[in-house]
Order: sequence, then C-alpha cells, then structure tokens
Amino acid sequence: MRTFARVLIAIALLSPLPALAHHGWAGYAEEEFEISGVTTTAVSLAGPHATFKIKVGEQVWDVTLAPPPRTSGAGLNATTIPVGSKVTVHGHRHKDAKRFEVKTERVNHNGKVYNVYPDRT
Amino acid sequence: MESSALGLFMRDSSVWTYPIVNLTHILGIASLFGATLIIDLRLLGVWRRVPLAPLADAAVPVAKAGFLVAATTGVALLATKATEYAGNPYLLIKFAAIALGLANVYVLSLLPAWRARRERAPSQAEARWLTFMGGISLACWLAAVAAGRLIAYW
Repeated sequence: MRTFARVLIAIALLSPLPALAHHGWAGYAEEEFEISGVTTTAVSLAGPHATFKIKVGEQVWDVTLAPPPRTSGAGLNATTIPVGSKVTVHGHRHKDAKRFEVKTERVNHNGKVYNVYPDRT
Repeated sequence: MESSALGLFMRDSSVWTYPIVNLTHILGIASLFGATLIIDLRLLGVWRRVPLAPLADAAVPVAKAGFLVAATTGVALLATKATEYAGNPYLLIKFAAIALGLANVYVLSLLPAWRARRERAPSQAEARWLTFMGGISLACWLAAVAAGRLIAYW
C-alpha cells in the first residue's frame, strides 16, 4: 500500500499536462470572427483537422475545420467547393495576430451553409 | 515525405484513416511507456522485493512491441502533413528525447549488472548506476510523451 501511494504521488507530480488548456479552442480568440475570400485549395480531409486556404486581398488564410469525419458529415468534402470559389467563413481567429488562421465553425458557399460545429453558436 | 504514397494514403483513403492510425499510435505509446515505467521505477528502487529479471522478462518485450507500433504509426502520422510539422519545435524536442531514451537503453543493455540480472544481484556501485539510468529513462520517455502531446498545441 505504501508503494502504491508513493507511485501515485510520483505520477501526480510528473503530470502537469492536464493543467494546460485543451488545444481545441484555447489558442483562438473569444470574439466571433468572419471573413470572406476566394478558395485557393480544395477542402483537404486529412487529419487531425480538415483544412483549406482562402485568399483575402493579398493575404492567404488557413481555414481550419473540424476533424475529417465530422467535416465530411457536415457535407463538406474535397469536391464540394471548387478552387476559386467565393466563400465566407465564420469562427474564431488565432490569438497570435501574426498567424492568419481561422478555426472555423461554419462555411458559407453559394448561399449554402456547412456547419461543421453545429453545437457551437 | 508528404507527397509519398504513405502521405497520400493517410490524407485521401478515408476520413477514418487518420483517427485509426492515431489510435494505434496511442496504444503503442501506452504499451511502451507503461512497460518502461515499471522497469524504471524498479531500477529507481520501488518494489525492491520483486526480482528484476522476471519483471524485465515481462516488461521489455511489451516495451519493444510498443515502440515498434508507435514508431511505424508515427511515420504515417508525420507523412500526413510533413511540411507543416517540420516547423514544429515540439517535434524536435520529441525526437531528441526519443534518441536519448534509445541511447540510454543501448548503454543499459551493455552494463554487466543488467546483462547478468538473471544470475546475480548488482553490487552497491552497480545498483547506483542502474538507479541513475532508470531516472534518465523515465525523464526521456516522459519528455517524449509530453512533447509529443504538445505538437498539437503549437
């Protein structure tokens, strides 16, 4: 029993990681963010998160979507939005102002809304 | 690496490919770290009444298999978005920690006290070395797991 207690204490001391915020949304600003641009890539359903890129003026933005199964489940697949399409993405911008990335909840293309995080407003 | 057949397979075969490979990677890490933790703690002086040799007989093969699974699935995960991961500092920390951990395993495997663990108990001086190496091992694999998890937070 004493050994068990000591091992438990050791593991607890060696595990500061759970204290860190989960990467899901913690790296992104609280405020809602919306931006429109022209897609320069198709939607990539590669893990850990589906992505595509848009060009806004001269700036290329990374659009980070949900994990692949969830993104695909929301109706967004590699052929859904052709390259060069005008889209509006809604979500949260990366906290680092030097990074042009939107963690995206919704994508609007041609009046159709793809809601990859429907549980988030 | 990203444009390799493996990278292509990871990205385009199915939306479930990445999650399944990811899960397998975690199972590999769990086996490697769990088995290594047992040996390291024993080397550090926990469970002195349990003989080292049979403990190692059980734990070492699990650690080896875990490492193999984690390493192969790790290459596949990396190939998914290799160019993006190339700039991730945690990945470098993780690789350095793994290299150190493997070097530590190699040195341990050369120690007479470790090689003769089935025949005799280590001398006091040897036991101090084993303790030291158990500590290094624990630090390396802990750093590898921590840095590995942090790759996603960069």
